[in-house]
Amino acid sequence: MTEKVRIGDDALMFSETLLLFLIKQFNGERTLSGIYHLLKGKKSSQSIQDSFLFRVEPFYHLCDDLERQSFQKLIEHLGDHEWIKYVNSEQTRVILTEKGMDKLSMFKIERMIPDGLRITNYVTTEKQFWLRLQLLIQTLSALRYQQTAFLPITKFPAVTEAVRRIIMESSLSRNQLVHQFYQEIRRLLTSIPILEANIFASQFSGYHMTGLTLRQISDESGKDLFECRTFFKAALRRIMQELSKNKSRYPFTALLMSPGVSGLSTTAGVSLRFLKSGLSAQEAAHRRNLSIGTIEDHLVEIALKDPTFDLSEYLTDELEHRIMDHANRLNTRQLKTIKKALQEGVSYFQIRLALAKNTVR
Amino acid sequence: MGSLNNLREEDLLREAKIILKEKFGYHQFRSGQQKIIQDVLNGRDVFAMMPTGSGKSLCYQIPGYLLNGTVLIVSPLLSLMEDQINALRAAGERHARALNGMMHAQERIRVLRHLEELRFLYISPEMLCRSDIREALAKITISLFVVDEAHCVSQWGHEFRPDYLQLARIREQLGHPACLAVTATADERVREDIIRSLELHEVAQTIMSVDRTNIALVVRNVSNDDEKMEQLCKLLRTTRLPGIVYCASRDWTERLAELVRRQLGLRAAFYHGGMESIDRRKIQNQFLDNQLDLLCCTNAFGMGINKPDIRLVVHFHFPATMNAYLQEIGRASRDGQQGLAVLYYSPQDNQYPEGFIDSNFPEDAFLLHTLHELDEGVLTIKNKDQFLNDLQERGSSETAARFIYERIREKPAYQSFHSIFKRSKSMIEQRRRVLLNDLSIMKNYLTATECRRAYYLKVYHEDSHEKPVYCCDQCGINLADFDSVNFEDTVINRKQLMSWEERLSYIFKESERSKQ
Ligand SMILES: [Zn+2]
Repeated sequence: MTEKVRIGDDALMFSETLLLFLIKQFNGERTLSGIYHLLKGKKSSQSIQDSFLFRVEPFYHLCDDLERQSFQKLIEHLGDHEWIKYVNSEQTRVILTEKGMDKLSMFKIERMIPDGLRITNYVTTEKQFWLRLQLLIQTLSALRYQQTAFLPITKFPAVTEAVRRIIMESSLSRNQLVHQFYQEIRRLLTSIPILEANIFASQFSGYHMTGLTLRQISDESGKDLFECRTFFKAALRRIMQELSKNKSRYPFTALLMSPGVSGLSTTAGVSLRFLKSGLSAQEAAHRRNLSIGTIEDHLVEIALKDPTFDLSEYLTDELEHRIMDHANRLNTRQLKTIKKALQEGVSYFQIRLALAKNTVR
Repeated sequence: MGSLNNLREEDLLREAKIILKEKFGYHQFRSGQQKIIQDVLNGRDVFAMMPTGSGKSLCYQIPGYLLNGTVLIVSPLLSLMEDQINALRAAGERHARALNGMMHAQERIRVLRHLEELRFLYISPEMLCRSDIREALAKITISLFVVDEAHCVSQWGHEFRPDYLQLARIREQLGHPACLAVTATADERVREDIIRSLELHEVAQTIMSVDRTNIALVVRNVSNDDEKMEQLCKLLRTTRLPGIVYCASRDWTERLAELVRRQLGLRAAFYHGGMESIDRRKIQNQFLDNQLDLLCCTNAFGMGINKPDIRLVVHFHFPATMNAYLQEIGRASRDGQQGLAVLYYSPQDNQYPEGFIDSNFPEDAFLLHTLHELDEGVLTIKNKDQFLNDLQERGSSETAARFIYERIREKPAYQSFHSIFKRSKSMIEQRRRVLLNDLSIMKNYLTATECRRAYYLKVYHEDSHEKPVYCCDQCGINLADFDSVNFEDTVINRKQLMSWEERLSYIFKESERSKQ
């Protein structure tokens, strides 16, 4: 529905190439939903793990605003050009055709993707950070212009609360606070490419100037919506990295970053604390009132992001080698195929854990 | 009534007028407001039916400054709460807060801690049903118990809210403060329901006309979508804006926004329920802030929106009920200036409202299957949101899922789920009949050969009064009279700053700082 096919093919060049690239990487081993969830940044360990397995980490959570229908339309568009074909009768998994390969080889995806996108350490908190940042800017602008009331761009309670706390707990006067923050944001935006900075800042809201949506920026600039998303996310990630590396240069803005294990989702972080305190997975599940399956998801996520954590309790070295042998011999990452080859005695969880451990470089 | 009492009444009225002027900036009450406010100040139970845009919130906000204690406003619409509190704050009121399920627990605690300082407390019905909140409220003086959107109490209405049935009992527990029940739309059946369910005694009623005489009504017959788009563009090229275009589907909102932007160069955007909530808010704020000339939207837009200078409301597709239509065109020209409502009708459009009616209810097979799964334990209703979500994943619409949930909640515990199938089915039949009847009233409006205004007044059992100069297409109207050149609008053409340095320096008012 969104992202309509525009007149002139080059308007879609970016999204076409991106999708073709992802399809090539996934190589028909996951359904199209897998790709959709990757882009959307679904908080399941499966999606996170897939992003590592298929070497597409930068694209995880690239477009959390992507609608299912828009994605579907794009896929249909690729199908219409015969760049992709279905590999199963349910028509859920696709690979590239020769024609699709040719099309993809015309572009260098590495060159299309800004470096900033590859910074994935903060991906699980980037949405939270972005909402806080926008609300803080809007609030400070209202303060600066002495606006008594304004309609906040988000009412999400955790965001409102965090922004409130930052403003209340500051020892600076309101006026100083606004100026301090202005200087920090200015410094941050100066440190990134100008194109990214413009796309990033066009979304800011202030006094009588509500920010644009990415869709509006795409319309305004004539750039493909996926391209806008890419530049935006690259900017966001660069800024989060800069903030966490040089906290002292941005004392005020750095408060917007959530503390926590780098890259772990909050809930997996909590589980990790329980597990580190010596609880078994079963006990942690009980204490957190979660299913054991969820804790297992967290363990897979931990395997991906915190290689120092000892997982031998769940997966012996010997079993890990066996699983990886089969996976490599069959040249697949499909759980079902691997499990079938290994026969009994191995759980899906263990296979996922092994794959996760072995994708970490 | 003694003279002393009369004197007091006069004083109060004078005070009320001063507040109207000083706090809200109006010089005069609008029709209906004064009587309602007087009745409220006299401590009576009041029922008021006021069409959208006739200033119902003032009817309890002004008494808030004259009565001792807190005005409690029960409202089912979060957006409405927020908008009103915002308006109150802009008018300098710092003692207005809300309590609803969307708030952070910390924020809720803060509100509860300062309860007695509040002049206005907006609350959602589900919050009011919580015992801890009721206990806290019982400790303060409630000067007035306002039930907004009171039609939600009636099972006859389309927006029935079971929580509303508790309100009479809760009001009792809060020391039986006087009650003001307000709604924009209610036929006689619904009115009776409201008065009975809320246990209003010797109720003072003010029923205002649904007619908005400052909105001219035009219906245009067209043969297909292309002709519609052509006419729309022609209209928008010259007619006074800002405006809204209501569409039946998300797809159309996007198509039209793009068309208008490309062909006419207007600042147009779309708004629908499929967008991220932050994007919806941005578009809404842009529209309120005059950064947009035109908004193409589904009926998801409008609830709780207060923009007094919308000059044009277009229906690219017609809605399913006369009620909805009046509500939507009622968003035009709330400031009392001349507004225009244009509806384009082509025969193919009939599919939309019929589809909408169907989507309200589950199909037989789906209902049966769901009940079966519940009996089998595959589905449970332990968690409401989860249940609604499960049904939607299985392909149900949200309203149909809610319908099933309500039926299940009514089921006695000892009965199987399957046992409610028949009763649910007959309820669907009954409700569908009501909706189809509403739809046929709407359709007759489109094809009516008499005055459009006279037609809908008849639907609401109102007598026709004097016709406004700009009445309707049947009475004769020249669209050119609504061209923007005829009006001296100060065009606020705010430009978006696309360069980050400029934008940042504007947002933080830095350019001025350097001059300081
Ligand atoms: Zn007429």
